[in-house]
Amino acid sequence: MAAGDKQHRPSAGKAFAILASVFALLFGAVVALLAFDQYRVLAAAERLQHEAVPEIIRFQRLARNLDQLNHEGERLFSSPSAADRQQALFLVMLVASHPSILEYPQAAVMARDAENYLVETNQLAARDPSTLAARYPEWLRLSQRMRLLVDDISIHGANLASADLDNMASTMRTARLKLLGALALVGGFIALLIALLRKHLIRPLQRIDHALSSLDVEQPAPQFPDARLAEIHAVEEAAGRLHKAMVSNEAARRELELLANRDGLTGLINRRHFMAGAEAEIRRAQRYGRPIAVALGDLDSFKRLNDTHGHGAGDVVLRTFAGLLADSVRQSDLVCRYGGEEFAFLFPESSVEQAHIQLERFRQRFAEHDIRLPDGLLVRITLSIGLADASHCPLEIALQRADYALYEAKRLGRNRVIVAAEAN
Amino acid sequence: MNRIRALALIAALFSGLLQAAELKVAILVQDTAQLSMQGDLLPSGTPGADLVAVTDELAREICRRINARCAYSYVRLADILPGVEDGRFDLGFGNFLRSPEREKRVAYSDPLFRSSSRLIGKPATARIFATRLGQPVSLASLRDARVAALDGSQQQAFLDGIAGERALTVLATATTAEALNVLRRDGADFALLPIRTGYALISRDKAQHFAFVGPAVTTHGLGDTAHIVLAKQQAALRRAVNKAIREIKADGTFQRIMHRHFPVFLD
Repeated sequence: MAAGDKQHRPSAGKAFAILASVFALLFGAVVALLAFDQYRVLAAAERLQHEAVPEIIRFQRLARNLDQLNHEGERLFSSPSAADRQQALFLVMLVASHPSILEYPQAAVMARDAENYLVETNQLAARDPSTLAARYPEWLRLSQRMRLLVDDISIHGANLASADLDNMASTMRTARLKLLGALALVGGFIALLIALLRKHLIRPLQRIDHALSSLDVEQPAPQFPDARLAEIHAVEEAAGRLHKAMVSNEAARRELELLANRDGLTGLINRRHFMAGAEAEIRRAQRYGRPIAVALGDLDSFKRLNDTHGHGAGDVVLRTFAGLLADSVRQSDLVCRYGGEEFAFLFPESSVEQAHIQLERFRQRFAEHDIRLPDGLLVRITLSIGLADASHCPLEIALQRADYALYEAKRLGRNRVIVAAEAN
Repeated sequence: MNRIRALALIAALFSGLLQAAELKVAILVQDTAQLSMQGDLLPSGTPGADLVAVTDELAREICRRINARCAYSYVRLADILPGVEDGRFDLGFGNFLRSPEREKRVAYSDPLFRSSSRLIGKPATARIFATRLGQPVSLASLRDARVAALDGSQQQAFLDGIAGERALTVLATATTAEALNVLRRDGADFALLPIRTGYALISRDKAQHFAFVGPAVTTHGLGDTAHIVLAKQQAALRRAVNKAIREIKADGTFQRIMHRHFPVFLD
């Protein structure tokens, strides 16, 4: 990978760390906002519990006590006996002395006024009960003022809770919106994460998997779209390198195979490879009832040529022989250097007669071919060939017959093709 | 984990002890005739019998709520605080107002109700003093007077504190009924009593000699919340009593007890 690529492509770990950090920051911010709302709700609830509710109870108690005071005042005016009036007055005084009234200045003043008025009324009524009626309208005014105060106190008490409750409700509504926002954020982030994972990780990995599964030296190197993540890009490049290595290895393997199967001097296939190929061809021909023939050829007087002109000359003759042979046999025919100056032939899909014609033509061509030796001398070499049918017998038997026929060709004077008899 | 187990064990032991132990409960009497009475044999018609009955019912209800067997003693106010302090009593029912001096000696329960103090006297005496003082009689203006108060009460402590400055003669009485008797015999000009006690006594006084004089007072430790007192080391008992108080207030038992003996409910 080039250094430039490394700089431009973020690594997967870094990319997901950045993504996770952004998510953590956003989610943390939402959680902090929710925590703040929760704190506000708890604070409002605590205020409600420890301040507003006790205050409400205090105001309720005050309103109730003023109501009781009012009620006992009414009883004083309506009681027929002095003893009952006195009892009512004692209760007025008891209620007016309660700390809940004393600690609320407006109520304390009003209670004291009412108590004083009722004490005075009781004293006057003790002497003349008819004064009760005369003083009752003034008591009604006092009583009315007290009732208004009771109403005000009750409403004030109720209002104390309203502010905190409104505040709590508003905060809860905001918190609900924030919670929905947080859920949407989480959902959106998960969707984005899945989309990014799919686009930049899963899909590229699937492409790589497919490319590796179908990697073949006969196919071109896999091509990938430009990956955004460094790791994916590195794996894709590695897949390309792997394909290149496979192609290179295949070429080397073929080269080695060639070297293992060929004769180094003539370039013809060697005896081992010939025998393996010939065995297979003969089995195939015999299975399908097709004609096939084998032949063994030997260069005449080759030893003398070597002795006279040296091994270099022998090599030239062998190479020339192989060169001519390449132009003279079909691609499907097999020819190998059987050993020394001896060569083996296999003619698939050819009868002995057809092979004979072909070999005869080649023998004549080779015999008429001038071969320039390393010392500049031109020579001609002849070839003796033994031919045998292989369509009904194993390769070894056919070669043995061809060898007998070759021996016969040598015996009869060389430079000829002899067809082996059916049975020797 | 072991610490939690140990605490649970201690709590269980305490709970068991609380249930098994017999609590000694002191109940404030208002008249000497109510001293050492047994069970519900409260002498009817004695001064302040309603107050004693309320306190007695409240004490029994709290004992039931905390699952304790209680032995009740009917005693003077002056005997309760020392009794709680030295362990003769576990709970002291005397509607105790808070004061720094008391808080050093005993522990307080949650509040039962709120109270204030007010002078009681004969209307004629009040008129004489108003003329002498040149203004209506009140605790703030009172001078050169003989004032009765319950022995060991906050009212007595307050009067003792201002007696020298105001030339007051403080007469400590064993019970509130005795304070009224002193007034009746002209042995004192006024009595300074808790408002609820004062009401209970003068509203039952058939001769109707007495009236409240001047405004009620809640300052100088003479008002605000009234409590049960306990020994300082009885933390578990205090928690149990507080729980019982919360329960009887929440289910209306406290209000019903008050209503049985008072025509108005003042908490």
